[in-house]
Amino acid sequence: MTNLDQFESVFKSADKAVFTYERAAFNRILLVSDMDTTAAEGIAERVRAFLSTIEQATTDWSILTGKDFDSIQSLLERIEEHKPDLIVTYRHLHSAAWQWPHSLGEYLDVMTQATSVPVLVLPHPDANYALPHTVSETSRVMAITDHLTGDSQLVNIALAFTKSEGSCWLTHVESQIVFDRYLESISKVPALDTEIARETLHDQLLKEPKDFIKACRVVIEQEDVAVQIEEFVTMGEPVEQYGKLIDDHKIDLLVLHTKDEDQLAMHGAAYALAVELRAIPLLML
Amino acid sequence: MHQVSSNITFIFTGLLVAMILSLAFEEKLHAKKSVIVGLFAVITLLCAAIFGLVHPETVQILGHPITLPVYIPGIDWEVIAIILGSSLFVDVTSKCGLFTWIAIKLTKASGGDPLKLLIFYGVMTVVFSAVLNNVTAMIIVGTLSGVSLAKLRLTNKLLGFLLIEGLLTNVGGMLTLISSVPNIIVGNTAGITFVTFFIKASPYVAVATAVTIWMGARLFNIQRLQNDAAKAEAATLVAGFDENDGIESAGFFRFGTAMTGLFIVAMATVSITPYIKELGMGYVALAFAAIMLTRYKATADRFYQAIDWDLLAFFGGLFIVINMMEHALVLNLIGDGLTPIIDLGETLGTGVLLVAAAVASSVTDNIPLAAMLAKILGGMNLPSDSPFWWAVIFGANLGGNLTPIGSASTLVAVTIIHKNKLPMSFVTFVKAALPFAVVQLALAAAFVLIFLR
Repeated sequence: MTNLDQFESVFKSADKAVFTYERAAFNRILLVSDMDTTAAEGIAERVRAFLSTIEQATTDWSILTGKDFDSIQSLLERIEEHKPDLIVTYRHLHSAAWQWPHSLGEYLDVMTQATSVPVLVLPHPDANYALPHTVSETSRVMAITDHLTGDSQLVNIALAFTKSEGSCWLTHVESQIVFDRYLESISKVPALDTEIARETLHDQLLKEPKDFIKACRVVIEQEDVAVQIEEFVTMGEPVEQYGKLIDDHKIDLLVLHTKDEDQLAMHGAAYALAVELRAIPLLML
Repeated sequence: MHQVSSNITFIFTGLLVAMILSLAFEEKLHAKKSVIVGLFAVITLLCAAIFGLVHPETVQILGHPITLPVYIPGIDWEVIAIILGSSLFVDVTSKCGLFTWIAIKLTKASGGDPLKLLIFYGVMTVVFSAVLNNVTAMIIVGTLSGVSLAKLRLTNKLLGFLLIEGLLTNVGGMLTLISSVPNIIVGNTAGITFVTFFIKASPYVAVATAVTIWMGARLFNIQRLQNDAAKAEAATLVAGFDENDGIESAGFFRFGTAMTGLFIVAMATVSITPYIKELGMGYVALAFAAIMLTRYKATADRFYQAIDWDLLAFFGGLFIVINMMEHALVLNLIGDGLTPIIDLGETLGTGVLLVAAAVASSVTDNIPLAAMLAKILGGMNLPSDSPFWWAVIFGANLGGNLTPIGSASTLVAVTIIHKNKLPMSFVTFVKAALPFAVVQLALAAAFVLIFLR
């Protein structure tokens, strides 16, 4: 009458991901630019103001200019020499392809995957598509991922970049297209009730990130972190939904995971987001 | 007693043996219990009609004679009503989240300490087996063990936990009259009340639970966490469980909790409650199920679909087969075989009957065994406080711990073990369970002989 799977599901659902707060520190920051020294220093100055939240008295800033590397191999070698905790750069180094919004550029593409260092990607300095409020402060930071639950690192880094008294948006957009495709298959399986599957799966997919955000709120309040937590969990088209959020709330910085242990290419929907959301800075973990 | 030729009795005895063997090899036959027993019910009814053993029976209802085919009054509808009502009640009540709330609260209270978890889960298995039924108890505690031990990275201890819990379901199944089907069948036949059953059985259940957990902790090397770092890590991990996650609404949770308490009280007081005593425990179980179903009045059919019709059909068929065996004097024949055991007296006879019932129920279903022995002992006009009744109850319940097929709950334990990809063959189970079963049976024999004689 009661079955095994029923109770196993109840207990698995009750087993919540735990959020562990840890203050993220960035002691060595490396700016990678393809410009000359003067222009690169200008960018560095603006970035230092932008990242004032994470800067400490002991923070070591370094700059790579266009002359310091002429190939991906040499760039990776320079990064290895500097051993940074954070790389700051922009799309399409040593390339004019920034004029076409279809890629990240070979340097950034490899950099995000070949190193374990978080990469802060700024709107291209030569392009004029950056939103007016960007690269000035980090009052509104948004953490996005295709699986928020249990990702303490993502939340901790987003919190570290959020200015005191600012807002940190913890967001999750479940792909409507993927959901519809699964339901289309379920609708062809006689043993499964399509309406029950639609209702329960929809609720469960959104419940997990909501529960995790709730857990994050509790810990953040306990730790007395002076940041307002905002929540956005929905089903839809991720790039469109995140784009709308950025516009509506004037988001200063996006934080997202790009690495996938199972593959060499960029993680899940991260590539599409990294290519399309070019108007504001992106922190790619 | 009517006259039946010995040849006919032997033919029916052959059919009974064939049915018991078929049930023992249920998995090899790839057939459900209900189909096996249903088929034998059809055959035995036909044979009984051919040999002129049965005729339509006339029963008086409100003074009116009603003629019914023999297979209708042959079924013990009170037992069917108790099982159907209790199962529906438990199934609906479990949706209020009470049982999972208790289970998760205890998990968190353990702080993730393996030995504390074993004690808490062991006691919870016994209590749930007593209040719900042993299969549901095993499902709840077994699945929680799988999830919590995986979280604590203690999957190497899972086999021990599941085995001990499986063995404790049959111990807990002896706590109340409605905790297991053999109790219901034998208790009803003997005329043992709910309260008497609890008072007489509970001391044994308490001792057997403590001994089983102690043995399990030693044999499976389940110990307390030694250092503070490990304790802190385990406590953090189990703190992630949210006991309120499975609660749909606070109102329904409170209602389900209150109804569970009332259900136990109502069952315990059936024999002394005016009007209700005329209607019996089956009425109480069905009435509580109906009240709980009002919470899901628009979707009650989902619960009807989830009813274990295989189990209910199995009981229906079984009662018919046993009724036919009674008509063919097979039960008298078995009773004659039991007479030497009974004649050994209340000391040796009770002990031998307990062990014989345990051995028999370890290789086949304990329900047919309990039903047959209840019918045979009932025919001997034994008083309700005779130790022979308790020998059958203890033997039929504890015999399930000797083999994985001895009871439905140990079968569920093995299913969970296999689901967690742990190795457990028939022989491995017997080897692991034998020390526990022998100690439990020895304790039971001593208990019955010292306190229930």
